[in-house]
Amino acid sequence: MTAMSSSIAYFDFRLAQHRNRLIGLLRMMSGYRLIYLIANITLGLSALAKVATFLLLWRFADTATGAVPPFAGSLHRSLIGFASGFVVLAIVEGGFAFLSSRMAAYAAENIARRLRNFLFDHIQRLPFVYHSHTPTGELIERVTADVDSIRTFFNEQAIGIGQIVILFVVNFLAIWAISWKLALASVAVVPIIVVISAWFFKKIGQAYEKYQEQEAKLSTTLQENLTGVRVVKAFGRQQYEIEKFERENWQKFLRGKKLLQIHSLFWPLSDILCGFQMLTGFIYAGWLIIQGEITLGAYPAYVGLVVWLIWPMRNLGRIIVNTSTGLVSYERIMDIVRQEREPPTEGRVEPAGPVRGKVVFENVSFQYQNGHADAVRNVSFTVDAGQSVALMGPTGSGKTTLVNLLPRLYEYTSGRILLDGIELKDYPRQYLRSQIGIVEQEPFLFSRSIRDNITYGVGRDVSQTEVEEAARAAAIHDTIVSFPQGYNTLVGEKGVTLSGGQRQRIAIARILLKNPRILILDDSTSSVDTETETEIRTALQRLMENRTTFIIAHRIQSVMNADQIVVMDNGQVIQIGTHQELLAQEGMYRRIYEIQTRMEEE
Amino acid sequence: MSENELFELEEEDHTGRLTASTLKRILGLLRPHWRWVVGFLITITATAALDALFTYINRAMIDQGIAGRSIPTLLRYAAYYGGLQLIQAALVFGFIYLAGILGERIQYDIRKALFNHLQELSLSYYSRNAVGRLMARVTSDSGRVSSLMTWGLLDVTWAVVSVIASVVFMVMINWQLALIVFSIIPLLLVIAIHFRKRILAEFRWARRANSQITGEYNQTIQGVLVVKVLGREDENLKDFSRLTDNMFQASYRAAWLSALFLPTVQVISAFALGAIIWYGGLQSLTHSFSVGDLHAFVSYLTFMIWPVQDLARVHAEMQHALASAERIFALLDTPPEVRNRPGAVPAKTLRGVIEFDHVSFAYDDGKPVLHNLTLRVEPGETIAIVGPTGSGKTTLINLLCRFYEPTQGTIRINGRDYREYTLESIHARIGVVLQTPHLFSGTIRENIRYGRLDAADAEIEEAARMAGAHDFILTFEKGYDQEVGEGGNLLSVGQKQLISLARAVLAKPDLFIMDEATSSVDTLTEALIQRGMEALMKGRTSFIIAHRLSTIRRADRILVIRDGRIVETGNHVELLRKRGHYYRLYTQQFLLEQEQRYRLMAAPSTLPAD
Repeated sequence: MTAMSSSIAYFDFRLAQHRNRLIGLLRMMSGYRLIYLIANITLGLSALAKVATFLLLWRFADTATGAVPPFAGSLHRSLIGFASGFVVLAIVEGGFAFLSSRMAAYAAENIARRLRNFLFDHIQRLPFVYHSHTPTGELIERVTADVDSIRTFFNEQAIGIGQIVILFVVNFLAIWAISWKLALASVAVVPIIVVISAWFFKKIGQAYEKYQEQEAKLSTTLQENLTGVRVVKAFGRQQYEIEKFERENWQKFLRGKKLLQIHSLFWPLSDILCGFQMLTGFIYAGWLIIQGEITLGAYPAYVGLVVWLIWPMRNLGRIIVNTSTGLVSYERIMDIVRQEREPPTEGRVEPAGPVRGKVVFENVSFQYQNGHADAVRNVSFTVDAGQSVALMGPTGSGKTTLVNLLPRLYEYTSGRILLDGIELKDYPRQYLRSQIGIVEQEPFLFSRSIRDNITYGVGRDVSQTEVEEAARAAAIHDTIVSFPQGYNTLVGEKGVTLSGGQRQRIAIARILLKNPRILILDDSTSSVDTETETEIRTALQRLMENRTTFIIAHRIQSVMNADQIVVMDNGQVIQIGTHQELLAQEGMYRRIYEIQTRMEEE
Repeated sequence: MSENELFELEEEDHTGRLTASTLKRILGLLRPHWRWVVGFLITITATAALDALFTYINRAMIDQGIAGRSIPTLLRYAAYYGGLQLIQAALVFGFIYLAGILGERIQYDIRKALFNHLQELSLSYYSRNAVGRLMARVTSDSGRVSSLMTWGLLDVTWAVVSVIASVVFMVMINWQLALIVFSIIPLLLVIAIHFRKRILAEFRWARRANSQITGEYNQTIQGVLVVKVLGREDENLKDFSRLTDNMFQASYRAAWLSALFLPTVQVISAFALGAIIWYGGLQSLTHSFSVGDLHAFVSYLTFMIWPVQDLARVHAEMQHALASAERIFALLDTPPEVRNRPGAVPAKTLRGVIEFDHVSFAYDDGKPVLHNLTLRVEPGETIAIVGPTGSGKTTLINLLCRFYEPTQGTIRINGRDYREYTLESIHARIGVVLQTPHLFSGTIRENIRYGRLDAADAEIEEAARMAGAHDFILTFEKGYDQEVGEGGNLLSVGQKQLISLARAVLAKPDLFIMDEATSSVDTLTEALIQRGMEALMKGRTSFIIAHRLSTIRRADRILVIRDGRIVETGNHVELLRKRGHYYRLYTQQFLLEQEQRYRLMAAPSTLPAD
């Protein structure tokens, strides 16, 4: 579907959908399953080496106490063998453990990387209607926090459960080799430990979530106070703010206290459980030794082994609880993955050159969602190539929605829109959009250099001369070169803060470079300081030359020169004509005109 | 959010040094809670000592109970073991409870102190420090310091006591072998510290990459319309994949470095174990090395990894926590620049003559913004301030509100230097509407009430009516109880302006100050805002930074400001006649607007008889 260069880590996660979330997660691992398998096998080898260390200790103790004869004739000579045995086993154990973690991390980080890439690409290719209905914060939360818990799932939980199970089995068998009765006596409380820790970690998780919620609330209170410092000071509300912050801060303290109370119960309680299980094992092992069933030398080995049987069980409880987080995240990510993308190249007609720019609306209607009221209702009018049309009307009357139908950001639900006599739906989106330029009311700039913002999306290499030409035509060149870093100045958080007018002129320069046939200006002059208005007007006039232009505006001054004015209310066209024609009629246009004149006159 | 994270990351690169004065102040944070500190230090010390003692008891259990073939002895030691286990559990409960809750408490204290101090600091401090930076001070720096002072202190105590106790027991058992174990501790410590630092650095890289990824997601989603219309999807993915590659590199390296640490340490301990086996084995020939001794040494040796790891971690984190502490103290030590003078009296009213007497002002960088400004405003006058961006209009307003004070000259209200009044009494009588209206999370009612906290609901509604906000408020399902969202972002710009007007109306100020918005709202809302402004200006002295022609014309007097000087004053007609700055500004700015309007006037007789 997407032309992907081979250097980008990419996987189509739409293939990872499944009703059963565990199978779905397994599908996400596609391509890394073998590495996972090897990582688990290596882990097993490492566990075997660890067990062998204790078995060697057993043998050594037996040899030293004379229970078994030295393997190399004398104890003296065997000692070197024992000592180097421990070193070799430690190297084997450590080496395999390291390899295993490294492979698991490699797989998990790779899965996370291609998931991030996929989601990024997927989201930017979802229809605009999806974006206008999904809060940014929520989407960001899913692609960051949920991807991270998927990563944790593969990096820690998937391998962690394997680790605990393998360690348990191998150590259990080793103790079994010492004495099967001892082995059984050593695991009696294991299920209880797992259940108790799972229960506690669930509680801890809930308390932690509440704690974090409060932290977020506190942080919002703080942020609003700091950004609103002038309001706080002007109204002298410092004391009020201090009390507000105090309430949230204290609440956070209380929730932290609650969280710690659970922790302070869980750890000693599970300590007692694990400790008494160990103690039972010690006593029983001692009894077996005294009865002569096992040798004294087995005791240190047993103590070493039983530690790895019991303590990891606390962790198992935690991991099991956390796994559910991974499953929830899988579901939340799949909610996004399931959304249909818009096909960029699908379409019957793709002219070789640019369009001429005649646009005809025929009974066009649009509704955002089935069952909702029409946002645009039965709109018909014609714009000749190169003409300008102004759209007026109150907020929410459907002006912006109407122009968004042109680049097919929204798909009209009935009627037809014809461009040069061909219906919009027959053009591939990519082509159609290359013919249209939009200057938004508050133009969106990216936190990149000014140059990158001007050349953004031009889709070809652009020379510096060309960039400067466009900037000059947009009346922004002088401003740009007045910055110390000129065109390389970063925009946004880490760079300069541009005024509304400056942003707008950069957006205009961008459109000039793109050179589309159809232009959409969304209220492009009104958000600007009056001093710069003239400059922008000139820049805009240059931009509008020979292009079909749609202007959305509130002020009569901005629309009166248009070839045609369309007045909208409630999604419908209520008036249409030139400025003079509309002034001559009773209606909304004249009402707006009167109000504005009166405001100026007073 | 991602902006704050960037500030945090930037600052985390700084590490602090432990100086006597910082240490003293950090310890000062603990002073009010010293009982808790003593409590957790005692419990953790006892816990660590018991950890070492358990192994020692187990040795006795082996040598005297099991090897001695005495079940009563075995059971006796087991009873000790079990009893101590219960005691230790109680101790564990104690230190988690004490240190944990104390940590929360200290964080609470620091945050409270910071926030309270921030309320006192002058606007100049805010203009020097980005909000993100101040946020980082209160949210993350406080956490880092409080966790160093509780968990950090606890971990170090535990580690040190554990090592000492273990060494003591080992020496009691066999001093030669104790020497072997003791000799590898410094080596382990050096390696652990080295690893910790590397791992911490890699994690920071990963976090940096992660915040870049979040930032990129954020701007692509917010700018998705631009992305789509400009067809930039393929290039975007290419750019984005570079960020995820960085993230992969950093987090993969961090992960395998972490995975390498334990095996490395274990291999080193294995050499020590080999030495113990060899030397102990030799001694066992003379029966001076028992199975219990063997068990004890193996346990102590393998246990040593944990205190060493803890020490290394605290060591690495301490440097960043100290840097955090230094930043916190620096903020707390900053004195507010504008504050009440000794002997300041409350201003009874601001209704009176306001005079600027040769007022000059320069910001910290020494660049003068206002020069020698002199102005006399009669009670009830409406003053419109016009001039290009950066000419000093906002500074003038800031001085009038006493957010800043003049560097030279005097501002007099009712004939008295306004510095002789208390700040609170001045602010209580000023109503301010800012260019970008700022609302707080909460309901519409709460936001309006911000103007006067003891206002009754009826008064709030009346203020809203006067400001022209009442009608749109009622269109909400919950009316005045409608939530406005974070920073008021559930409302439109026009609605926010109307509410901030209502807030100022409710305050019943003596002096009204407004920075007129430049952003566009539809004509009806615009008309409402104009009406609201009129209601506020009626009968009180008003200063308006004006952008709308209608506002400028309504003013009694217009100040034209250029490069920090008043270049012209007068009303609209007078100034036009002068054919000076205002005339030029006016013709430049409003030429098109006017021309078109006059053309309309001339248009066929469709005009209303207005």
